[in-house]
Amino acid sequence: MDAAVATPRAETVAAEAPSSCFHCGEPVPRGAPYVADVAGQSRRFCCAGCVAVARTIDGAGLSPFYAQRTASSARPEHDEPARVRQVEAALAAGLVHEVEPGTHEVSLLLDGLTCGACAWLVESWLGRQPGVTEASVNYATRRARVRWVGKANVLRDVLAAIDALGYHAFVYDPATRETLLRRQTRTLLLRMGVALLAMMQVMMLATPAYLGETIERDYQALLDGAALLLTLPVVLYCALPFYRGAWRSLRSGRPGMDVPVAIGIVGAFVASVWALATGRGHVYFDSVTMFVALLLVARYADSLAREKAAAAIEHVTRELPTLAVRLARYPAVDGGTNVPAHVLHAGDVVRVDPGAAVPVDGLVLAGDSVVEEALLTGEAMPLRKVAGATVLAGSVNRGNPLVVRATATGGATTLATLSRLVERAAVARPPGVALADRAASWFVTGLIGVAIAAGLFWMLHDPSRALAIVFAVLVVSCPCALSLATPAAMAFATGSLGRHGIVAARGNALETLARVTHVVLDKTGTLTRGTPRLVHTQIYRDRTHDDVLALAAALEAGMAHPLAAALREAARDLPVHVAQGVEVMHGDGVTGTIDGVRYRLGRPTWACPRSTGDAPAAADTDHGTVVLLADERGPLARFVLDDAVRDDAAALVRALARNGIAVSLVSGDRAATAQRVARAVGIADVHGDARPADKCTFVRALQAEGAVVAMVGDGINDAPALAQADVSIAFGDASALARWSADMVVPGHDLGRVDSAFVLARRTRRVIRQNLAWALGYNAIAIPLAVSGLVSPLVAAVGMSVSSLLVVANALRLARFRRAA
Amino acid sequence: MDILFLLVPLAVVLAFLIGAAFWWSVSSGQFDDLDGPAHRIVADDDSPP
Repeated sequence: MDAAVATPRAETVAAEAPSSCFHCGEPVPRGAPYVADVAGQSRRFCCAGCVAVARTIDGAGLSPFYAQRTASSARPEHDEPARVRQVEAALAAGLVHEVEPGTHEVSLLLDGLTCGACAWLVESWLGRQPGVTEASVNYATRRARVRWVGKANVLRDVLAAIDALGYHAFVYDPATRETLLRRQTRTLLLRMGVALLAMMQVMMLATPAYLGETIERDYQALLDGAALLLTLPVVLYCALPFYRGAWRSLRSGRPGMDVPVAIGIVGAFVASVWALATGRGHVYFDSVTMFVALLLVARYADSLAREKAAAAIEHVTRELPTLAVRLARYPAVDGGTNVPAHVLHAGDVVRVDPGAAVPVDGLVLAGDSVVEEALLTGEAMPLRKVAGATVLAGSVNRGNPLVVRATATGGATTLATLSRLVERAAVARPPGVALADRAASWFVTGLIGVAIAAGLFWMLHDPSRALAIVFAVLVVSCPCALSLATPAAMAFATGSLGRHGIVAARGNALETLARVTHVVLDKTGTLTRGTPRLVHTQIYRDRTHDDVLALAAALEAGMAHPLAAALREAARDLPVHVAQGVEVMHGDGVTGTIDGVRYRLGRPTWACPRSTGDAPAAADTDHGTVVLLADERGPLARFVLDDAVRDDAAALVRALARNGIAVSLVSGDRAATAQRVARAVGIADVHGDARPADKCTFVRALQAEGAVVAMVGDGINDAPALAQADVSIAFGDASALARWSADMVVPGHDLGRVDSAFVLARRTRRVIRQNLAWALGYNAIAIPLAVSGLVSPLVAAVGMSVSSLLVVANALRLARFRRAA
Repeated sequence: MDILFLLVPLAVVLAFLIGAAFWWSVSSGQFDDLDGPAHRIVADDDSPP
């Protein structure tokens, strides 16, 4: 059922237009000098990274990879310090196991695998690294196991080797829910396989009955006996999950769909055994096995889709313990010792290296750097931190080393408090009762009532037939179509979502999404890009727009600051300059020499202190950050960078409004900024200056008024609200916590996908309703017939199959869902 | 038609054997990754370093 999702796109990427990178498929910039020979043919690439990867692959004789792969590879990114940190953390946490003296093993999670050929490539490549004795890559789960002879820190070479191919590996602890999930999937597969096998065999044995042949008693008993034997494993083993589900839901006082299923299975089986033993009545072994098999197929497809979803949102950062560098003898000079963050206490002094996450809430003692707190506060721009400033655990150091004295550690940090808010909100969220489960409650009550009434009636009139008729009622009503109605629709819809790049992490997210009356949107990263972009350029002297931009990009080459990245992005297609003698003045800007001229780029007051009249002195306006480019003679150009509103944000708001859904914007940013964005996309209800708890309260208040709330957000600061909302969507480069709190994850930067999710949700609900209506209608006709004793086994079997197939066929329409242009 | 008294039980036994074989293949992990092995076989490296 899930084949459409599981199979990678079957087009060869090698035959793409020459202007796209041979390795990653991204467009090749004009005049880019990146060319390399792969398998004897000259190919073009988009960047030096892709060339290096392709050379590595070709040099190792692994170039068949390019012919075999079915999707473009990911663009390589190298982050040496991050790799070193990861190795240290993994060693400290004991994730590298010494399986036998001198041999180590590690489990890795691989990022960037796009098709089965990637798994082959990584496996072959790792197998050739010195010391590596065993490397196996599982494409389905994106996991790898590597074993090598040598010291534990050979791990660094292993990770470097994977990076060299353009993939990215994270160390993870395999003894977690991973193994649990695998065991569950295996068991489910086994149950489904056994049920399908038994179904085919039993149906074969039931063929004479289907054909209406009357055969000798002995032969009939032989066939029925064989069918009984084959049905036993199905009833005793395959159907176990349904009994358990039924028992659980009965104990909690809310009979769900599993109850009629269990009654149907047990009822039909007992009736058949009784018929076989007494020689009166009919056997329904074929119906029982088919019923169980179909249900298990739907369940298996659903579990596959769910597993894929889980793999897609996995972020290893949360599984790896954060490592901190403790300076025990501060202020004496000290190299520092690596310790896991959880052993730190308030008062400890730690060093936070560039690129690392701050492990504690604390006070900066020394250093001058910029720190990105986007995940915590939703503020897109990195903030300057000097001695005396406070930093929060979970923010990322984007500049120089900082020395921090911890004020709160572990469970007391702002980040941990947020995590607790998330947990509390998740518990408090209104329970979403699935449509099918509500239908099931009525159905069970009605069914048992009818069966008892029919039994009593026949007991009075013809006691010899009473038992047979009670069983017939249970069998005919056997809620095959009813219980398939939802799972079949959900399985196909989840598959469709997957093809649209939407990951449904929790089961009934789609159903709830269809009922949503109010959507709450986050600003930073959701309606806006979350990263600054060049929005305006003002030129002061006789230079062209492209000219000044190219100069700025050259000065900012290699800078990690988001503003630098924005300028480089804007100058992507321009000819490349090279700046010499580049110096970084933290908090101010950069200087460098290009073609013999000394330039300054940065804060206006610093870049051009002499300028008074025409160049504005203010560093920030209400509309973003201003950066000035100047040479010795004065200002050249003024760049305004701002967190730009996404192009499709307004379209999403319009689409939601068209369907009668109210839209609110809640942002942690200043109220004025939130207002401006809201005006740009057409939202009337705006709430700025909202702390994470405020967002959560806002959602709860809406729910108290009876609204069904969907929350769309991306930051850790949205996580509590995401967990509180009836259904939530983590959008874009959502933080790990946001992903885990959300019901759906929409990666990428296409807000239209959020709208697709809503459209598909409504369509799915329609299909489920049609299915339920059909199933109930079928029962409304079949049960009275069974009560009056008019149903033959043939009619029962055919009726059941046809109704189930109709339900599945109707659900199949969801698999063909295409997003309206 | 008496042969049925041999063939039908035989079919049942066979079905159970197949079931056992399936159980073995699932629990030995043969169904854990359905995409990777296809590539492993086709693109076997025939040019050692």
